[in-house]
Amino acid sequence: MAVRLRAPGFYRAGWMMLGAIIFAAGLTWAVRASTGHSTYQHFLDANAILTVSLFAAPLAFLVGIGGFDYWFDWAIGRPTRPEDHSGHGAYSWKDYFRINTDHKVIGVQYTVTSFFFLLVGGLIAMLMRAQLAQPGSQFVDANTFNGLFSVHASLLIFLFIIPVFAGLANFVLPLMIGAPDMAFPRLNALSYWLLPIAGLMMLGSFFAPGGAFADGWTAYAPLSDNAPIGQTFFSVAVQFAGASSIMTALNFLVTIITMRAPGMSFFRLPLLVWANFATSLLVVIATPFIAGSQFMILLDRALGFNFFHAAKGGDVLMYQHVFWFYSHPAVYIMMLPGFGIISEILAVKARKPIFGYRMMAFSLLAIVALGFTVWAHHMFTSGMAAWIRIPMAITTAIIAVPTGIKIFSWLATLWRGVLHLDTPMLFALGFLTTFTLGGISGVMLAMVPFDIHVSATYFIVAHIHYVLFGGSLMTIFAGVYYWFPKMTGRMFDERLGKWHFWSTFIFFNLTFGPMHILGLQGMPRRVATYANQFADLNLFISIASFGLGLSTLVFLYNMVTSWRGGPRAVANPWRGLTLEWQVSSPPPVFNFDRVPTVVGGPYEYGVPGAVHGIFAPPPKPATVGAGSSSSGASGE
Amino acid sequence: MEAASIAHSPAHGDHHGPPPANRSSRVETQLLGMLLFIISEVMVFGAFFTAYFFIRVAKGAPWPAPGDHLPVEVAGVNTAILVSSSLTIHWAQTSIKNGNRFGLKAGMLTTFLLGCTFLFIQINEYANIGFAPQDNAQATVFYSLTGLHGAHVFIGLCLLLIVTIRSFRGHYSPQEHRGVEVPGIYWHFVDVMWLVVYSTVYIL
Amino acid sequence: MERNAADNPPAPGAARASRRSLTLTFVAALIAVGVGIVLSYAIHWFPVKASLQARNTDTLYHVLVIASIPIFVLVVTVILYCVWQFRMRPGEELKDGPPIHGNTQLEVFWTALPAVLLLGLVGYSFAVLHDNEAKPAREIRIGVTGQQFAWTYQYPPSVTGGAPLNSYQLYIPKGESVKFELHSKDVIHAFWVPAFRVQEDVVPGITTNWRVTATRLGTYPVVCNLLCGLGHSLMRSRVHVVPLAQFQTWVKSQLAAGAGGSAAAGTTG
Ligand code: HEA
Ligand code: HEA
Ligand code: CUA
Ligand SMILES: [Cu+2]
Repeated sequence: MAVRLRAPGFYRAGWMMLGAIIFAAGLTWAVRASTGHSTYQHFLDANAILTVSLFAAPLAFLVGIGGFDYWFDWAIGRPTRPEDHSGHGAYSWKDYFRINTDHKVIGVQYTVTSFFFLLVGGLIAMLMRAQLAQPGSQFVDANTFNGLFSVHASLLIFLFIIPVFAGLANFVLPLMIGAPDMAFPRLNALSYWLLPIAGLMMLGSFFAPGGAFADGWTAYAPLSDNAPIGQTFFSVAVQFAGASSIMTALNFLVTIITMRAPGMSFFRLPLLVWANFATSLLVVIATPFIAGSQFMILLDRALGFNFFHAAKGGDVLMYQHVFWFYSHPAVYIMMLPGFGIISEILAVKARKPIFGYRMMAFSLLAIVALGFTVWAHHMFTSGMAAWIRIPMAITTAIIAVPTGIKIFSWLATLWRGVLHLDTPMLFALGFLTTFTLGGISGVMLAMVPFDIHVSATYFIVAHIHYVLFGGSLMTIFAGVYYWFPKMTGRMFDERLGKWHFWSTFIFFNLTFGPMHILGLQGMPRRVATYANQFADLNLFISIASFGLGLSTLVFLYNMVTSWRGGPRAVANPWRGLTLEWQVSSPPPVFNFDRVPTVVGGPYEYGVPGAVHGIFAPPPKPATVGAGSSSSGASGE
Repeated sequence: MEAASIAHSPAHGDHHGPPPANRSSRVETQLLGMLLFIISEVMVFGAFFTAYFFIRVAKGAPWPAPGDHLPVEVAGVNTAILVSSSLTIHWAQTSIKNGNRFGLKAGMLTTFLLGCTFLFIQINEYANIGFAPQDNAQATVFYSLTGLHGAHVFIGLCLLLIVTIRSFRGHYSPQEHRGVEVPGIYWHFVDVMWLVVYSTVYIL
Repeated sequence: MERNAADNPPAPGAARASRRSLTLTFVAALIAVGVGIVLSYAIHWFPVKASLQARNTDTLYHVLVIASIPIFVLVVTVILYCVWQFRMRPGEELKDGPPIHGNTQLEVFWTALPAVLLLGLVGYSFAVLHDNEAKPAREIRIGVTGQQFAWTYQYPPSVTGGAPLNSYQLYIPKGESVKFELHSKDVIHAFWVPAFRVQEDVVPGITTNWRVTATRLGTYPVVCNLLCGLGHSLMRSRVHVVPLAQFQTWVKSQLAAGAGGSAAAGTTG
């Protein structure tokens, strides 16, 4: 037992967390005793301890499970264990519940954890729809309802879309560029373990006195300045989720820059890698701003600072500028990796090279650059200086151009291809239609007078879900099906996959399509009850949304049963050219026995004898070339 | 297995390791990582400078708030202290590159002490400045910018302490001194950031 | 651009069939666009239109929808056509498409065309914005105060011709330009009249405003449209658009009834 308490793991994490809470209590007591400052008075003792604990306990947890052991040893100059790869690979399910430095294991940990939060967030959405099925309060009071949609959005954004993309890329990106692992495997492990912390903290806020944080995922000040303690859970959880994003992005950038296989020039990178490169730039530059915004809220709340207290000279609108300077780029953080997934799938499933590869890469960078110049389109009605609306509306409209380049190039990729209409492809095609709709409604919102009418209505809710569900989530489903054989070594059930697609696609449109009309007609968002005139449409939407929930169960069933007992997958079931398909399914512990050499573009489908990567030394491409050419790539 | 692998052997059995990754860039991974991290850090400061901008420039609030006084001179001396610590850590780094162990130790120790002095003066300034962050928005911005920087100094000092102890224990060599260099970059960043904070908050 | 003839020989009959299918698809797409546009007029999108601003904004909306329909139809049509014509047929499991890598002209085209279209649309929207917010020669100013969770309205002496008036009721004259000046006592709210198609946040510490010229008599909902806490869903009020003469009588009666005093208990203007 004593060994267990000292060795990295959940036992050590347990007592360390306990210690952290005691430390928090002691610290709070000491500070308050020594200052006796009147401004600390409004702050309840328990709340102060809780606030400090929210930082201290997770850090203690991370130390406890061993996230920092190596660095501690390294820092004090103790002999560090040379990388013995004991942290690599997963041989039983238990290996997923400890610090693991293998990017493939981390990828699976990330993906599964994120999907858990999708289910929770979706379940919360079901409660919201039940409440909204009829005007008046059905199940919950207004405060709980506000908490529901706040947690719903926060979980789905910070704990699902953003990390699930990081998870999928974690798994396939090193494989795609021919690297044995990520550049900083231990940092990678740490960034994963920050996630459950952030998620559980957000969920835990439901048990906080005063209820969950209830100011929307945008947490506008000054409402959030004076909200009950649940709001602190949000502010702190976002710090952990944000730190996790930044670490992963940094890791991706360094990996992509320094660990590409020989011959893998930037313009031979698969577009998924490009997409994650672009996304990571966004994350590294933008995410600190949401950390900053939430720190300001925390300081206002806990220590009585005056960032957002108008009476003391604070600037209320400044919160929104700082928040959206992150959160607009964040919507591209939630979309660009999906663009990468779609590029992979369409090329393979249409058996054609991606049309306009270079423009595809450049348009990603254009979106990154433009993405930083549009944040105030969320503030057209906020009362900011009127002139800011002009440049922001122009850049917002123009950002549709690089996005349009991508859509049209994908369409051109389909043209005259040989379309394999299986589940990943269906989701990719579904994505093209629903995302185009969501994007178009976004462009409408860029038109200021129109936005002035529909801002903060259900039209926005419709836009959100068309881009986040019809956009991001569709690409995630597509990607999960596409790489499922690679990640698990099993095939999924194609028939259930098609069922899942069609039910999702139909119920999705039935659920979120009518919301456009609701918004135009004047139904505000974030309301627990509404005027009778909106009752019919809302009932319709609620029923459709339950169908959408059930369709997710089909997916869940398919994944679980296929993972446990699906037929074994061959190495390259889709006859893909990119490197991840050239190794076994699931890949060997160290990815490649020999670092591959890249000799051509990633999407040379239809080019006779084309090769992307070879596993023999470069001088003799001809012999291996035939084996991995497009016509007979399923070898291995 | 554990015991065996704790050995210092750099040549690890290749029978179960991955092939070494191809190095596709001349930039060192640690350096690039630190650089990206610093970009992130700069943006954290950016968020708080946004607050500064909105409250002081966009709203045009008097700076500092009427009745408050910023000790520009004391902070100026403090600035000189911090800047000189950048020079001493540079001295320590060049020393170890040339195999001068005394230079390393002396350089690290002075850097560490200079950093402590800076932080001490800063805390003393807080205690005597006569206004609190709760008083008004200007004070909030003042405390949060200098405080954010102070937190970075504190983290930097922790790193420096480790490096100093290790250098007294005889670690590092002309060949292997990344452990001095990477914290050094961070420390330089902390210094440069202070110059920005000092000139915007105190002087302008 | 290279089409690899040896790899993918187009059968002569297939070419003709595909020309016919192309025409067919093109016609179907045109019909879809037509139906879409007709539908966009048939659907009852908006609540009643009660202001000049609403007229402009609704027209803008219709233009946007009409511009969007062809784009959406284009995307969907290409997808459906590809699925119809190019889906893998039995026996083609190992076949690849032609290795087309790109086409610069096409790419320039689909970069430039949306850019021009978008700039045109934003330009037009700015014109509408300018119209909607233009300062008229004569206007009435009315103060609006939001607080958790109620609205109050302040009529300054310039409107009442006497003492300032505080009221829980909002009356405005038809056909006159009204400027609402918005104040908040606590957190951010938003003052929205869907029938006017205008809203703006009510922000503590600053005064925001919007203008409207009501064109239709009647009573319309006022909605708080920014999450402001527990009572946000119930923070509602009404605006009564009345003829100018009736407006003046209402103001007089309010003043006479001393409503100014009683409502002021809840506000400070
Ligand atoms: C994945 C997430 C995602 C993505 C990709 C987008 C993409 C876009 N969004 Fe969206 N947006 C959100 C998530 C996202 N958004 C969220 C979550 C909110 C609400 C936040 C909140 O308040 O809670 C929001 C809110 C929001 C607003 C604020 C509304 C308001 O609160 O008043 C605006 C306003 O301009 C906007 C615009 C746009 C635009 C112009 C795009 C563009 O990038 C879209 C570009 C794509 C296309 C246009 C389609 C494809 C292009 C073609 C086929 C070419 C031809 C097209 C034309 C010529 C039109 N969005
Ligand atoms: C990726 C992001 C994402 C996703 C996937 C979703 C998914 C869904 N969302 Fe969400 N939503 C947001 C992001 C997202 N949302 C954001 C950012 C907001 C703004 C919040 C704010 O205002 O601050 C929002 C707000 C929002 C609102 C508006 C709340 C309001 O303003 O008052 C509504 C209302 O209907 C809603 C509904 C739904 C529904 C029905 C789903 C469904 O698609 C969910 C489907 C999935 C499941 C249901 C899970 C799986 C099923 C089970 C576990 C079994 C249970 C099944 C049954 C009981 C039948 N969402
Ligand atoms: Cu007031 Cu919402
Ligand atoms: Cu945006």
